Amino acid sequence: MKTSKLAENPGLLRRLRGLNLALICFALVLFLAPMVPYTMAAVSPDSATGFWDQIRQGDTGVTQIKGYESGNLINDSGIFWMEFRNKWISPGGAWALALSLVILVLAYILVGPMRMSNKPSGKTMERWNRADRVIHWYVAILFLLLAVTGLSLLYGKAVLIPMMGKNAFSGYMDLGKDLHNYLGPLFILGLLVMIVKWMKHNFFTMIDVQWFSKMGGMIGNQHAEADYINGGEKAWFWVLALFGIIVSGSGLVLDFPNYGQFRETMQTSALIHAASAILLLCGSLFHMYMGTLGVQGALEGMTSGQVDEEWAKQHHKIWYDRVKQNN
Amino acid sequence: MARMKFLCDSERCIECNGCVTACKNVNEVPWGINRRRVVTINDGEPEEASISVSCMHCTDAPCIAVCPVDCIYEAQDGIVLHNKDLCIGCGYCLMACPFGAPQFPMENAFGVRGKMDKCTFCAGGPEEDNSIAEYEKYGANRIAQGKLPACAEMCATKALLAGDANDVSDIFRERITYRGSNAGAWGQSMAYGRKAKD
Amino acid sequence: MKLTKLSPESGQDKAKADGISRRSFLSASGVAAGGIAASQLLAPGMMQKAQAATNPRKEVETKRTICTHCSVGCGIYAEVQEGVWTGQEPAFDHPFNRGAHCAKGASVREHGHGERRLKYPMKLAGGKWQKVSWDEAINDIGDQMLKIREESGPDSVYWLGSAKYSNEQSYLFRKFAALWGTNNVDHQARICHSTTVAGVANTWGYGAMTNSFNDMHNSKAIILIGSNPAEAHPVAMQHILRAKERNKAKIIVVDPRFTRTAAKSTEYVRIRPGTDVPFIHGLLWHIFENKWEDTNFIEQRVYGMDEVREEVKKYNPAEVEDLCGVGEEQMRRVAQTLAEHKPGTIVWCMGGTQHTIGNNNTRAYCILQLALGNMGVAGGGANIFRGHDNVQGATDFCILSHSLPGYYGLSAGAWKHWSRVWDLDYEWVKARFDQNSYEGTAEKPKFAMNTAGIPVSRWIDGVLEDKANIAQKDNLRAMVFWGHAPNSQTRGLEQKKAMDKLDLMVVIDPYPTVSAVMPDRQDGVYLLPATTQYETYGSVTASNRSLQWRDKVIEPLFESLPDHTIMYKFAKKFGYDQQLCKNIKVNDDEPLIEDITREFNNGMWTIGYTGQSPERLKEHQQNWHTFDFTSLKAEGGPVDGEFYGMPWPCWGTAEQKHPGTPLLYDNSKTVAEGGLTFRARFGVERDGVSLLANGSYNKGSEITDGHPEFSAKLLQQLGWWDDLTAEEKAAADGKNWKTDLSGGIQRVAIKHGCAPFGNAKARSVVWTFPDKVPTHREALYTSRRDLVEKYPTYEDRKSHYRLPTLYKSIQDKDFSKEFPVILTTGRLVEYEGGGDESRSNPWLAELQQEMFAEIHPGDANDAGIRDGQDMWVETPEGARIKVKALITRRVDRGVAFLPFHFAGVMQGKDLRSKYPEGADPIILGEAANTVMTYGYDSVTQMQESKVSLCRILPA
Repeated sequence: MKTSKLAENPGLLRRLRGLNLALICFALVLFLAPMVPYTMAAVSPDSATGFWDQIRQGDTGVTQIKGYESGNLINDSGIFWMEFRNKWISPGGAWALALSLVILVLAYILVGPMRMSNKPSGKTMERWNRADRVIHWYVAILFLLLAVTGLSLLYGKAVLIPMMGKNAFSGYMDLGKDLHNYLGPLFILGLLVMIVKWMKHNFFTMIDVQWFSKMGGMIGNQHAEADYINGGEKAWFWVLALFGIIVSGSGLVLDFPNYGQFRETMQTSALIHAASAILLLCGSLFHMYMGTLGVQGALEGMTSGQVDEEWAKQHHKIWYDRVKQNN
Repeated sequence: MARMKFLCDSERCIECNGCVTACKNVNEVPWGINRRRVVTINDGEPEEASISVSCMHCTDAPCIAVCPVDCIYEAQDGIVLHNKDLCIGCGYCLMACPFGAPQFPMENAFGVRGKMDKCTFCAGGPEEDNSIAEYEKYGANRIAQGKLPACAEMCATKALLAGDANDVSDIFRERITYRGSNAGAWGQSMAYGRKAKD
Repeated sequence: MKLTKLSPESGQDKAKADGISRRSFLSASGVAAGGIAASQLLAPGMMQKAQAATNPRKEVETKRTICTHCSVGCGIYAEVQEGVWTGQEPAFDHPFNRGAHCAKGASVREHGHGERRLKYPMKLAGGKWQKVSWDEAINDIGDQMLKIREESGPDSVYWLGSAKYSNEQSYLFRKFAALWGTNNVDHQARICHSTTVAGVANTWGYGAMTNSFNDMHNSKAIILIGSNPAEAHPVAMQHILRAKERNKAKIIVVDPRFTRTAAKSTEYVRIRPGTDVPFIHGLLWHIFENKWEDTNFIEQRVYGMDEVREEVKKYNPAEVEDLCGVGEEQMRRVAQTLAEHKPGTIVWCMGGTQHTIGNNNTRAYCILQLALGNMGVAGGGANIFRGHDNVQGATDFCILSHSLPGYYGLSAGAWKHWSRVWDLDYEWVKARFDQNSYEGTAEKPKFAMNTAGIPVSRWIDGVLEDKANIAQKDNLRAMVFWGHAPNSQTRGLEQKKAMDKLDLMVVIDPYPTVSAVMPDRQDGVYLLPATTQYETYGSVTASNRSLQWRDKVIEPLFESLPDHTIMYKFAKKFGYDQQLCKNIKVNDDEPLIEDITREFNNGMWTIGYTGQSPERLKEHQQNWHTFDFTSLKAEGGPVDGEFYGMPWPCWGTAEQKHPGTPLLYDNSKTVAEGGLTFRARFGVERDGVSLLANGSYNKGSEITDGHPEFSAKLLQQLGWWDDLTAEEKAAADGKNWKTDLSGGIQRVAIKHGCAPFGNAKARSVVWTFPDKVPTHREALYTSRRDLVEKYPTYEDRKSHYRLPTLYKSIQDKDFSKEFPVILTTGRLVEYEGGGDESRSNPWLAELQQEMFAEIHPGDANDAGIRDGQDMWVETPEGARIKVKALITRRVDRGVAFLPFHFAGVMQGKDLRSKYPEGADPIILGEAANTVMTYGYDSVTQMQESKVSLCRILPA
């Protein structure tokens, strides 16, 4: 008996639970998915005593074992977490990724790449300076590494173990987990720099509304005018900024268990992390498509930094005009 | 096939922590890792009750379902074991487990936890039975020696029962008959709301 | 199908609900299929990684030993490979514990690691610990002691022994001290159950647990007062809960704290600390009022109950409510429960004994059982749970300042008896002592040899008190702590002062103990490493009086030596090794254990330690499985009909094959089968009223009424003298049942169905004690000043156990304003005693990492203390300790509780750096007894460690 853990302050716990509930609601909203009511208390009392109910509801007792939550006998939040992760996020994510790919393939087949309407002029203008490009590729490469390792963590068991066997997969995953955990904070740094650096270009204007109303000129032969950054790019920027920060925040919670987070916090973070990461991944697929196959000539902007003036005129007329004017 | 189960009779558990040290003893579990613990609810109040808890070797164990490297598995007799060579220390099993059973040697920055350790029902691990390698990684393999988990075998008041689920139920049922009430049973079902029998 | 190397339990099916038979599980599950063959060959895992490098296929030797923690006496199978203790297996066939263990028992294999042990003899020189050889240590210490003896007499060296000795070592130690020439010898029993032994022995003859743990299976009511077996004797709870389950036994827990045991009770009664007598008398009030007493039993077997009735009248319900804080309704309910659920047993421990009126408390408990007629029946009795593993044995061998082994006392007759057993000249033994008289008168001198020595609770006063006030030649100058943790004694600060003042301190222990670090000394301290009981062998007496044989599990670790070897080495140095071991073979300085057993078999007639020869004990040890789990009687097998461990009295010689006495005073059996009457110990009549039993006698007795104890003369009067053999006659002539070394008188008495010690009434009044009838007296430091006038303590005494002893002069001072909180102490399950051993065991230490005080939320809020915060506990004698606050309703408002196992921190100062390197316990903490205050029992000098006053302040 005796020395109870102060950490097990029930009031605090309740408050944290409240917070988690809010976060979970948030996760639900993210998916806009009809949630089957998997209640956290998916248990029905079969014994008459209030004592057992107390335990089932996660009431905390005292124990001589040191450690976070060691006084907690049952914490069935894990069941909820498991169900959510395995029944919703995992398949949902797979569907979302697959759907994204299907859309892109269809877009490629049905719409095809946006080609330059005029012949390249041969004259180029600088679209992304060296610093922009370095930060882009820094973030992009880390993003891809994190995506691959993260996806392996989520789907490796189903996809990779049958292919490479448990031992090899575990070896890879051991490295993958460390990569993910150590590169994550580096990614966050890059992301933050990028957001700060590019934010000023990305505030929506009326031009973007028009741009959107014309679907960026993708459909039909309508021409959508855009400034330095078009509406679609801005939208991606903000998705990246918002969910990037969410992924980062939840990732940090997961990456630093040494601060003694409660289990519910970890679970919620894991759910949010996975969901928002998948969302970002889907978004990044579109982004990658647009940056490569989707829009002819876009990639050079981020590789050499130079775009053809014709390309600029076509896609970012307002920017082009302004640059020309300033010159 | 029989299933091995733990059941703790809270009407008998006195929080003597014998199960905890028995486990330390036979498995040489290091300081800071506790495969078993005793929790007292309503400490010092009239409804005080103590319960010994460890890995409950769940049917359809959540830890198995969430382990990303598939290192946790259900062995013969329903005992849930794990392979430390495969474990990457991600901590998912701890997040899923309703009983807080998985233990990690550390919880450091960048998610460094070391290999997961937990109650093996005194059944060792995937190594050869009672080999040195098995003992070093997982502790004793009493099951292979024809014995039961030390915690239950040494329980001061025979509150903690371990063994074939049917036999455990029989023993507990006999106690219920004597007592005329079914208070006290604590098993895996507590977390999932199923009857103790399964 | 043989599944395990252990033999299957007998009576397994019957005991099934108590545990799990491996067999039934394995046969049902088929698990063992692959394992059976392996189990024959393979060892369990190795103990450490380093050792795991050895081949796991080494042969396993299985030793049978007994847990060295508490007195329940749990059996253990220790598995040893090539001398290394590699496995510990539950002894399912052991009759006491059926394989069960508490935290301590389940971790005894750690003794085989012994990382924090004292590894070699050391001495303190210039404030540094220095390694020395055994020879050097014995020589140095011996020279200094002989010098002190020369200057100040033998009484200036104090031999503080231990309840951790085996019986053989206990006996040898008492003899060793006697041959040194002093009665300044004592051990832990003084501060645990001395008031029990005195109170109970003076009530019905023997001062021990009357029944057994197992016998509680038969109880229909169990009242525990000042006892918390869930933490102190966890395996006892197996038996108690079995009674609760199967007999629907009522479990009544009376305690100031809502303990873990209380949580399992059917009725919890919270009393104010130190009000046991009013509580018991309050029950008796209802019992007498409603005529619930057993009048027939009282008439036949109890003396003096009328005087008790008179006294009890004072404790009417209103008075009891005022004194104890228990209302009339609950008192009546408890009394009625006890009256209606028979047989019922009473259990008490330190909560009852450690008081200035401890002897009153213990006698009150006895009277309750006598009034209810619960004595001498299965399921009844006074089940007094002893503390240490062999505190019963060490008490029986009287490592006590007031008696020789077997409670023979210190009279000339007692010395002559033992001199005869030792085969030594009485005059030579006498000459070893200080020849002066300090306590008697000129006409009636009382020589040092015949006066009780200083008790362990008071040794500090033996050092610090003015020489003129001590009834011996000089102050204590050398102190030998031989298996003793000083933090188990109150008045810690004065103890430190005494340690500083001593000429010489010798600590003989497997661990340095806090004795090594308490004093601020530069030199004059020696630490000698003794082994644990796992590194030697011999017999140990459990609380229920059963003797159990231990195997040696491993060879002594490091340079440690078994206690009896160290005794012999000292005796050799002092020049009485020949006398010490006259009948005992000595191999390489180690006296042969079996020879020691045989020697005490030859002398311990009073309490029947005579029939338990080493051979019989070993036979019992090898046949654990044949004894019944409830009656402890062997069914079939080589020891058919005997009771496990031959609970004393096991009358006569080993050849007489007495089965032992499982229940004291049970007259439904013949004496030859373990039956007994109350002992005729207090004479045959008093004030014209017979003290002998009235129309009550045990089954088969040829004398069908009370009778006095047997002597040669009585045998002749009865015409039974010729039942003795010629040899017996020669030995028995002029002797009695206690002094006849042939055992003939006992044999003949038993042959005629009579108890050798007579057949008398138990007495509920003890005319030789300060309070003839148990009565309440307020504690010296009481918060109820309003009660002091009506229930005052005793007058101060000039010489009690050689020392002035204060009562009234302390109680007269009112500390209740400055120190408003009642302070009490108790045990934790993970640790034992002073805790040096258990706090050095990582498996246990991890479970209790901080010293704390339990305080009520109300008091905490008043003092501004939050849970987990550091706080000071300060007591009237000026001591203070810094501990963690544990806020809980387990204690009542106005009561604080301290666990007493911690030490190594003193008044906020950590002493870890003072331990010899590598021998510091893993966990240190403030010792509760640093702050516990003055107060000693009026009969035995038991310390008051259950009631004091304190104030609590945030740190």
